[in-house]
Amino acid sequence: MDIVISQLFTGLSLASILLLVALGLAIIYGATGVINLAHGEFVMLGAYSAWALQTFVGLGLLESLVLIFLIVAFFGWVIERVVIRYLYARPLDTILATWGIGVIAQQAVRLTAGGELRYVEMPEFLSSSVSVLGIETSAFRIFILFVAAGLFLLTWYLIYRTSIGIKLRAIMQNREIASCFGINSDRIYSMTFAYGAGLAGLAGALVSPLKSVSPEMGTTYVVDAFMVVVLGGVESLIGTVASSVIIGEMTGFLAFFSNDTIAKAVVLLAIVVLIRFRPQGLFATKVRS
Amino acid sequence: MSSRTLRQVIVYAVVCLAILLVPSFVDNAFILNKYSRYLAFGILAIALSLSWGYTGILNLGQAMSFGLGSYCMAMALKLRTVPVHTGAEGLPDFMVWNNVESLPWFWQPFHSLPLALILGIAVPVIFSALLGWFIFRGRVTGVYVAIITLAVLVVVNLLIIDQQRFTGGFNGITDLAQLEILGLTFDAYGSSSYYLIAGALTVCLFLALAITKSKVGLILQAVRDHEERVRFFGYDVAYFKIFAFSVSAGIAGVGGMLYTIVMEFASPTFLSVPLSLSVVIWVAVGGRQSLLGAAIGAMVVTGMQGALSESEVFLDTWSLIMGFAFVLVVLFLPKGLAGAVEAIYARVFGNGDKGKSDREKTQAGPAKPAAEPGGAE
Repeated sequence: MDIVISQLFTGLSLASILLLVALGLAIIYGATGVINLAHGEFVMLGAYSAWALQTFVGLGLLESLVLIFLIVAFFGWVIERVVIRYLYARPLDTILATWGIGVIAQQAVRLTAGGELRYVEMPEFLSSSVSVLGIETSAFRIFILFVAAGLFLLTWYLIYRTSIGIKLRAIMQNREIASCFGINSDRIYSMTFAYGAGLAGLAGALVSPLKSVSPEMGTTYVVDAFMVVVLGGVESLIGTVASSVIIGEMTGFLAFFSNDTIAKAVVLLAIVVLIRFRPQGLFATKVRS
Repeated sequence: MSSRTLRQVIVYAVVCLAILLVPSFVDNAFILNKYSRYLAFGILAIALSLSWGYTGILNLGQAMSFGLGSYCMAMALKLRTVPVHTGAEGLPDFMVWNNVESLPWFWQPFHSLPLALILGIAVPVIFSALLGWFIFRGRVTGVYVAIITLAVLVVVNLLIIDQQRFTGGFNGITDLAQLEILGLTFDAYGSSSYYLIAGALTVCLFLALAITKSKVGLILQAVRDHEERVRFFGYDVAYFKIFAFSVSAGIAGVGGMLYTIVMEFASPTFLSVPLSLSVVIWVAVGGRQSLLGAAIGAMVVTGMQGALSESEVFLDTWSLIMGFAFVLVVLFLPKGLAGAVEAIYARVFGNGDKGKSDREKTQAGPAKPAAEPGGAE
């Protein structure tokens, strides 16, 4: 029984990290149709910001979270203003442009911060382990779980309960008509992009104590995050959560029986089959063509 | 043959001839080997241009076919070496290290070189045909095709790394014999390999050109431009897409086989995500709707990468420069270098040949509004 619970918890922990990374991507992709391959680099920038603030300014991880969000969000905003906004009519080309941006960001970080692995310290009071339902587990992982849930609720609130959210949803339905009603779609798009980038930055900062920080770290996240978004269905926040949990639990479960590599391969194959038969994802009602 | 086709054939032939003449001027084996590598990438780019530029299938997993071809060649060449531990006709060295008792069944066909050469093309073609059937029968389009092909690439890559006992895992298959056909030895650093690859590039280029000029090729382009309309005309769109997808996989397989010959090993990086996305970049830079442009794009970009990464000044910054160059191409030259050349040609000779210039105009037309917002700012 203990093994089952600890397995469930491992999966949940994987899921919370997936959700953190995928949430920003889901918002950007769902709202603007931009396939942001630089999302992994936003994650990486968040991790490096955490490292830089800790090493040079002496800020702890928790104190610097807001700052990291703002830094990466600003970076995302600049990218949207300079490159992405010219490509809304050519969604497939956004794959190419954002990949180029990712290459630039990786190399820029490698040149300024160095290519070697960096380590971020965990906040001290979270570095112990706690016991939940009879299972010993790291307090920091539980903390991530709560942050992921909190950020999800915040995002949900922003989209469904604020006027910016209403405007965003109007643009998602029909950009031209929304513009006719006086909604500044340019501004909403760039704000959405910045918010998504900021979320990715937070994700990077939060996973940085668990994994080593390197310029290439983003690449692994971006593919996984895409799978989450596609499985959950575009334009469905609940779907993103559900698919994070499904993928996280499945990976944890399969890894228990074989190994991490096979688990990842099987999960990817399952997603491929799912896209084939249900391209709109598990939880969406509408397809973005 | 229309005058445009004739002009294209002449340009293609001149470029291929120029490529074939390179060894007469270069006798440095190292440089020749480097050029051979770029040519192999050129073949890979032609494959993607055929599926992406002409059929509208953005295959982010093009490196999978390349890698499968490369592994087929590596397996055949590995079996032609004499392993140190097990002696003649023994097991490849990495299998001995991993305690494999006997040669697995899927290695057996590679004892025969002709069969291996066929398999190097057939394996990617069959795999892609099945994948294509799976994707296109379900009418999956656009971004989802890109995501599926990318995911399948990752799966194949993971499996090859995981099955270290049979594939060499992370290290790939190394210490290969040299390819020998009809008494000819293809040394990775000799001009013979260069001629082999240049010849293969020429064949692939003209084969692809012939396909795009055929009736099938026209339907493929129609599918790219408006899939639904083609379907309403009564064509079975899925079959045309599967055809283009498989032919492109075969060409990529050829490129992979040749790449193994010049590199003298096969590795999981040959079917990695970064390589696969790089191919998309080369093709976009060269011009996705021009087979020759795509091939030249691959050679120019990889050539520049090679040159920049070797020079002291750009050692650290070359990928930065490539990234910027690439973003600029996407923003301002959606049709790549080939599109730019055609636009210049149309402007200079636009009035001479009426039929052609009309065509140029319609071809250059759609690119303009897309490029303009960038310029207007």
